[in-house]
Amino acid sequence: MGGESNNEGEMGLNHGHDPSMPLYAKADPYFSSSDWDPVVNGGGFSSSPYPSVVMDNPGMSCFTHYQSGSGYPDMPASLLPFGDCGGGQFLGSEKNGESVGRLMRAGESHDQVSDDGVSPTRKRRQAEAESQRNKKAVEAYQEDTQRGSDQSQKKHKDGQSKETMNKESSQSEEAPKENYIHMRARRGQATNSHSLAERVRREKISERMRLLQELVPGCNKITGKAVMLDEIINYVQSLQQQVEFLSMKLATVNPEVNIDIDRILPKDLLQSRDRNTPTLGLNPFTSFQGNISTTTNPQYNPLPQTTLESELQSLYQMGFVTNPSTMSSFSPNNGRLKPEL
Amino acid sequence: MERQIINKKKRVFSVEPNKIPPSEVFTRKYTSLLVPALKKLNMNKNSSQVNQLTVKHEVDMALALSAQEFAWSRFLLQKLSSSNNPTTTTSSSSNGIRIQERSGKEGGHEDGEREEKLRELQKLLPGGEEMNVEEMLGEIGNYIKCLELQTIALKSIVQDTT
Repeated sequence: MGGESNNEGEMGLNHGHDPSMPLYAKADPYFSSSDWDPVVNGGGFSSSPYPSVVMDNPGMSCFTHYQSGSGYPDMPASLLPFGDCGGGQFLGSEKNGESVGRLMRAGESHDQVSDDGVSPTRKRRQAEAESQRNKKAVEAYQEDTQRGSDQSQKKHKDGQSKETMNKESSQSEEAPKENYIHMRARRGQATNSHSLAERVRREKISERMRLLQELVPGCNKITGKAVMLDEIINYVQSLQQQVEFLSMKLATVNPEVNIDIDRILPKDLLQSRDRNTPTLGLNPFTSFQGNISTTTNPQYNPLPQTTLESELQSLYQMGFVTNPSTMSSFSPNNGRLKPEL
Repeated sequence: MERQIINKKKRVFSVEPNKIPPSEVFTRKYTSLLVPALKKLNMNKNSSQVNQLTVKHEVDMALALSAQEFAWSRFLLQKLSSSNNPTTTTSSSSNGIRIQERSGKEGGHEDGEREEKLRELQKLLPGGEEMNVEEMLGEIGNYIKCLELQTIALKSIVQDTT
């Protein structure tokens, strides 16, 4: 998405203390400083340079600091506080709201760009949920629609950044670092710093619960956190029990059959792919030789996120049908794989 | 040793522009880890029975190694390496029963219920007790996804060997 690089550029402009150029430019490896043109990003963002008041805000009572865990390992730790500082110090001018949104977008684009280190599974789910969150933000907030969505995106970004940081760093849970997440009070709500903190925390939690709701099958109709949590717990337990049961089964079955295990891999890998890519099954074997050729196969179909039963069905069909073809492709192992590499 | 190399290389390659869906990556990693481990188990203990615990251990180990992007996998690895008894799932059944009872009894104080359930959830996730609630909720999502993929992989493996 080309818009994101523009966002990064504008984000730099928003920092009042360095209007000429962004802190991000030096620090961020993904920063593309080529695009400085104003971009209208669905929200009518203007690109006018922001007044230096952005960073100065002595009298804000609704300013809340949060510690958001350790910084990204992919990105410099200084990235996060600046992004958040820019977002948090506004009292309610629309321009500032826009810049918040832009900061958030930039933060999100950082997330998307640094995908290698971030859990891809999680990113996928976040991408799905993001549209939902944006919609919800628009309905839920009583302020300007734009400001509301900016704020939700802000929290979304914070949530994202927290999640990505959690996955990466080893001490994200415990070591309080210098990163703060700044929030501003919404209209009509208490501006006590504690209650703000509480509210933001609660909203983060509820957002994640929403994500989980999508993940756990059959939870779309359930409203209410307690029931939702129950469902999640039951689901996780059932999954774990399934794994246990399967491993038990594997233990009993395993010693009998030795050779067939070699056939499992290609079948398994083909479970969600097209049937006409038998060479894909050879990938793990190439990995044993030290070569990985996982990138040259654009025919991959992502595993369907439907219920396990339907996945299994396709799996069995695939497995039984493609068995002879995979077996035949075993012998010209090295010859076929070279172009893939 | 090979495992490490495999995991590292696979992670590097996932940055390519034509990206592979992450579930594919995980499944492939998982199966490529588990199957040779099982074969090795087979070969090492060909006379004696392959113990269920060791199989479980390998299963969990493969899960943890295939999902190293996530925090819970580290905790799982720690658990596995410290003790050879994987206890990640053994407590699940008892917790389930307790939850049902609790939600029946506590009708009033909703926050208390929620706290209890969040704590239960934390126990389910490896390393969940050491995270705060928000992080834990995020990690649970990943964990669920990986568990689902793991069950698919295991089912296919079992299916092939029977």
